[in-house]
Amino acid sequence: MTDVELVSAPHEDAQYAWWRRKDVKAIFLIWLLLTVIGLSLCWVPAHLMGESASEQMDETKQTMTLFTAIAAPVGAFIWAVMIYSLAKWRYTGEGPPPDDAPEFRTNTPSVLVWTLGSAILTMVVFVWGLLKIAAIPAASGFGLQVVDAPPAMEIAVTGNQWVWNFTYPEFNEIQSDVLYLPVDTPTTFDVTSNDVIHSFWIVQMGVKVDANPGAITHTEVTPHKVGTYEIRCAELCGILHAAMQTQVKVVPKTEFDAWVKAKLAVVPLGPAEPKSVGGA
Amino acid sequence: MSVLTHDHIAGQTPNSSNAGGMLLRRMNVVTAIIFGLIFCVGIHYIATAVFVMPEIPEGQDPPSGLVWMLENRVTLATMAGWVLGFMVGIGAFNGPVRWILGKDLTDEDLLFQAGKDQGISRYFRYTTDHKVVGIQYLIITMTLLGVGGTFAMLIRTNLMTPTSTFLGPTTYNTFVGMHGIIMIIATIIMVTGPFGNFVLPIMIGARDMAFPRLNALSFWLIASVVPVLLSTPFLGGMPTGWVAYNPLASQAPPGMDAFVITIIVFAISSAIAGANITTTAVKMRTKGMTWTRTPIFVYGVVASVGLAIPVFPAFMASQVLSGLDRAAGTTWYDPAGGGSGWLYANLFWLMGHPEVYVILIPALAALLELTPVFTRRPLFSFKTAVVAIAGIVGLSVLVWAHHMYVSGWAPDLGGPFMLTTEMISIPTGLLFLVFIGTMWRGRIWTRLPMMAVYAMLWNFVIGGITGVYLSDIPADEAMHGSMFVTAHFHYTLMGVALTGALGAVVYWFPKMTGRMIDEKIGFWGFWMIQIGFQVTFMGMFMVGLGGQPRRVFNYSDMYTTGNFVSTMGAYTIGLGALVFLYTIISSWRHGEVAPSNPWGAKTLEWQVPTPVPLENFDVLPIITEDAYGYGRPASEPKEGSSV
Repeated sequence: MTDVELVSAPHEDAQYAWWRRKDVKAIFLIWLLLTVIGLSLCWVPAHLMGESASEQMDETKQTMTLFTAIAAPVGAFIWAVMIYSLAKWRYTGEGPPPDDAPEFRTNTPSVLVWTLGSAILTMVVFVWGLLKIAAIPAASGFGLQVVDAPPAMEIAVTGNQWVWNFTYPEFNEIQSDVLYLPVDTPTTFDVTSNDVIHSFWIVQMGVKVDANPGAITHTEVTPHKVGTYEIRCAELCGILHAAMQTQVKVVPKTEFDAWVKAKLAVVPLGPAEPKSVGGA
Repeated sequence: MSVLTHDHIAGQTPNSSNAGGMLLRRMNVVTAIIFGLIFCVGIHYIATAVFVMPEIPEGQDPPSGLVWMLENRVTLATMAGWVLGFMVGIGAFNGPVRWILGKDLTDEDLLFQAGKDQGISRYFRYTTDHKVVGIQYLIITMTLLGVGGTFAMLIRTNLMTPTSTFLGPTTYNTFVGMHGIIMIIATIIMVTGPFGNFVLPIMIGARDMAFPRLNALSFWLIASVVPVLLSTPFLGGMPTGWVAYNPLASQAPPGMDAFVITIIVFAISSAIAGANITTTAVKMRTKGMTWTRTPIFVYGVVASVGLAIPVFPAFMASQVLSGLDRAAGTTWYDPAGGGSGWLYANLFWLMGHPEVYVILIPALAALLELTPVFTRRPLFSFKTAVVAIAGIVGLSVLVWAHHMYVSGWAPDLGGPFMLTTEMISIPTGLLFLVFIGTMWRGRIWTRLPMMAVYAMLWNFVIGGITGVYLSDIPADEAMHGSMFVTAHFHYTLMGVALTGALGAVVYWFPKMTGRMIDEKIGFWGFWMIQIGFQVTFMGMFMVGLGGQPRRVFNYSDMYTTGNFVSTMGAYTIGLGALVFLYTIISSWRHGEVAPSNPWGAKTLEWQVPTPVPLENFDVLPIITEDAYGYGRPASEPKEGSSV
C-alpha cells in the first residue's frame, strides 16, 4: 500500500516547521540541482549570438547572460515542483483518486513572497534595461542623448526593394551598396526608405532600426573590430526580403581613406547614380 | 406575444400557416453556398460594369495604379457579396425579417432553430443551441488548425535547406501570411468557441446563451469568411505576412483584399460573440452562483472575449483604412499623401498584443479548471487567479508598442513600454503559483488532461523567459525581427495555448461527444506533438540568436543545422497531430461510451446527463459553494448535489 504511505507522509511530518518537511527538502534539492545546471549553462544564449563587432553587441550578450542567470532559479523552481510531484504525489489507480489530499485553499505568505519576489525581479530587469539604454546613447535613438559625444561620421542609409544603399555625405556623397566603416570611429546612421518599411540590421553589432518611407530614423555604433559582417533586412518587405542583405567591411582608418579616395576618383563631383558605383 | 402568434398561426390552414417557417426549415449550408455564389457572381458583374476604366487618350497605356485600384474595388465587392449571400442563404436574416414583417418566429420555429429532434443535420443549419454551436466551433477550429498546420509543414519543408526552391519567394511569403492569420484565427476561437459555447452555459447553470441567435451568427460569419481567406493564394497571394504592414500591403495583389474582408468579418463575429458570452456570464448564472463561486474557466473566457471587444475594432479599423487605400485612393498609410506606416503599426498592435492574451487566458483558464479535478485539491488561491487574470487583461492594453521598439516611432516611449511589458510577468507569475499551489501534495491523476498541464508549465517557463529577453530594449534591438521572436511566440501561443486547448478537448470530450477519448493512442499523438515542438523551436531559438531573420525563404549556410533540426521537429509535430486527429475522430465515432462524470469533477456541466438534453436542466440548480471542495470525504454535500 504505497499509496497510503505517500499520502500520509506529508501529514506525519506536519508537526515540523515547513522547511523541515520531507517534500520541501526534496524539492529544494532538485531546485538547487536545476539551478546549478541552469547557471552553468547561462553563457549559451550569448555564445549562440556569435561574433561581436561592437561594444553594443557585447552589452547585449551580457544582458542575455544576466537574464538567463536570473531566470534559472525561477524556471528551476517550477520544474522542480513538476518533477517531484510526478515522482511522489502521483496516483496510479483506476477511477478518480480518493478525496484525501489536503484541503487548504490558499497560503497568504507564499502568495505575498511570490508577488514580491517577481516584482523585485521585474524591477531588476527593468532598471538594467534603462541603464543599458542610457549607457548606449542614441542606441536606435532611445533614451538620453549625450551632448559631449565625440563627433561621429554620418552615413545615410536608404532601403529599397531589395537593396541597401549607403551614402557618405561627408565625402562628396559617395555611394556604395557595401558598407565601409573605419574601425573605432563613432558612426551615425540616418536611415530611411524609398518604398516600404525595411529594418536596417548589422547583425554582429547588435544595431537595428527600421527604415521608414517618409521619415528618417537614427542609430549609432562604434565598430571595434576589423572584419566583414552581415547587414540584413529585419522587416518583411516583399517577396525578396530574404535576399535583401549585404556586408559591412570594418577596415583600419588608412584603408578606409584609401577606399574613399578611390571612390572619389571614380565618381565625378555631385551626387552619383547608385548604379555607377555598384559592386564596390 | 409568442402566445398570440401561436394562436394566430394555429387558426390557419397548415400550408399557409408557416410559410416563413417552411423557408426557415429549408435553409442550411447548401442554400448558403448557393446564395453565396449567386450574390458573389451577381455583384462581380455589377462591379465590373460600374467600375470601368475612363477613356484613355489614343496611344497611351492606362495608368497601372488605376487598373490596380479598380481591380481591388471589384475584388472587395465580390467578396463582400459572397459573405452577404452566404448569410442570407444560411438564414441569418430570417428572424429579423420575420420580425419586421410582423410575423415573429413562433415557439415551434424557435425550437426548430434550437435544433430540436434534428439529429446530425442541425450542425449544418443556423442552429441556436449553444451545444451545437460549440461543436461547430470545434470542427471549424480543427479544420483551421489542419490547414494552418499544412502551411507550416510546407514552410518548414522549404526551410530544410538554405537555398531551397521548393516554394519560391511569392508562394513562400503567401504561405507564411496564410499560416499566420489562419493560426491566429484558429487559436483565438479554439477555447472560447468550442468550450466557451458548449461548456460555459452549463457550467453556470443556464439553459442557453443570452442571445442564441447571435451565437449562431458569430459562428456562421466565421464559416462564411473561411473560403474568402483561403482564396488568397489564388488571387496573387499576400506578400506581407499576417501583420499586413502598410505601405507594403498597398502594393499587394488582390489576395490582400481577401485578408481585409476576412479581418473585418472576423472582428464583427468576435464582437458579437464577446457581447453574447459576457452577457451570459454576467446575467445568467444560476441562483447562488456568486462571483466567488463562479468557476475560474468562466473568468478566463469572459476575460478573453471581453478583452477582444475593445481591441479588435482597432484591427478592423486598420483593415478598413487599408481597404480604402487600396480601392478608393486614400492615403492613410502613404507618406507621399500625408499618411504613415506608423499609423498602421499602432492600430495593428493595439489589437496585436492584447490578442495574444485573448488566446492565452482561456487556454490557461481551462487548465486551471481541470487541475483541481486531477489533483483532488481545491484551486489554490482562487482570488489570486482572478486578480492575475484581471491584471494581465489590464496591462495587456498598455504594452503594444514593444512591437515597435526599433521602428523609430517615439523612441522616448521605449522606457514606459518596457515597464508595462515587464510588469505583465507579475500577474503571469501568479498564475504559475496557482498551478503549482494546486498541485502541491495533491493526488496527481496522470490522465491526458493533467499531462497537458505539465507540458504547458514546461513550455510556459521557456516562453515566459524568452519573452523577458525580448521585452528589454537592449536585447530586443538584437533579437527583433529574428527567428528568436518566432520561436518565442510559438512557445507561448502553441506551447501554452494550444497545449491548453488539447488538454481542454480531452477533458470535455466525454461531455461533448458522449464518448471517452482513446488515451492510449492519444498519448502518443500528444507527446509526439510536445517533443517535436521542443525540437522545432529549440532549433529556431538557435538560428534566431545567430541572426537569422524571420520570414525568409532562403538563409545563410551558417544556419543549416538549426533549420534542419527545426524541420525534423516540425514533421514530428505534424505526425503527432495526425495521430491526435485520428484519436479524436475514431473515439468520436466508436469510442467507449462515457459516464456522465468520468473525472469525478464538481462543476455543473458534469452533473447533467450525457448527452446533455436541450436546455440542459430540468430544474435550474441552486449553488451553495464553489466547485473546488476537493480533499474532503465524499459524503459532505457538494455543489450540484441540489440539482
